[in-house]
Amino acid sequence: MLRALLRRPALVLWRAFFWTYDRATWQYDLWVIAILAFVWLTPPDWLRDPTASGPGLIGLLRRLLF
Amino acid sequence: MTFTGAIGAACMFPLRAIIAGCVALRIHPNILTIVGVVINVGAAWALAGGRFMTAGWIMVVANIFDFIDGKVARELELESAFGAFWDSVMDRFSDIFLFIGLVFLYAELGRTDYVVITALTMMFSIMTSYTRARAESIIPRCKVGFMERPERIVLLMIGAFTHRMAAVLWVIGVLSVVTVADRVYYTWRELSQAAPERRA
Repeated sequence: MLRALLRRPALVLWRAFFWTYDRATWQYDLWVIAILAFVWLTPPDWLRDPTASGPGLIGLLRRLLF
Repeated sequence: MTFTGAIGAACMFPLRAIIAGCVALRIHPNILTIVGVVINVGAAWALAGGRFMTAGWIMVVANIFDFIDGKVARELELESAFGAFWDSVMDRFSDIFLFIGLVFLYAELGRTDYVVITALTMMFSIMTSYTRARAESIIPRCKVGFMERPERIVLLMIGAFTHRMAAVLWVIGVLSVVTVADRVYYTWRELSQAAPERRA
């Protein structure tokens, strides 16, 4: 049971990285959304980005909340 | 339809007009390929100067040429093995020019960490193409892995237009490493499966 439960996320990860899907599939869309989220939401300070402008969405929320 | 499919279909409208124009003028596809590389040198120069918005627009123009050359070749019935080889070689030059622009920029800013990250990203981007080319000389097909050239170029444009180049370099770098590993593993598996059959 536990093995079966663990197998599914492991399979999802395996398929996400060992990629065999075509472009314009829902799997491709998911990867694109994840990548764009990382690029646009990650505060540039976390990556020590020397050329970024603006804090990014997460950075903006952190400034507003804390 | 998926949202990436919809974006692709929307982009095809203006591209079809450009392709039709090139076909009407009978512009040789190999000329289009080299023009794309020359324009990409301009994008690299803009990146080196930290002018990301300019670089983004130049990349858009350069990659229109990159995208349409194969389609124009098909329409003009000028498809050839040399054309495919020429296109592939010129694509590598375009990629390297863009990364050199970024290496220069980060070196100017005194950021050796990003010089190294950009250099590693460049190395794995080139290896992504090399592993597939080399694999397809020994197995029929090796089209696996996410981070191929169109993804790389679109990401570099997004990084330039939204001033998020560092995040883009991390994404291209990490996913290029995974893509290279994917292709090595896939080739090994295909050859391992073929080996017992050959022995039998």
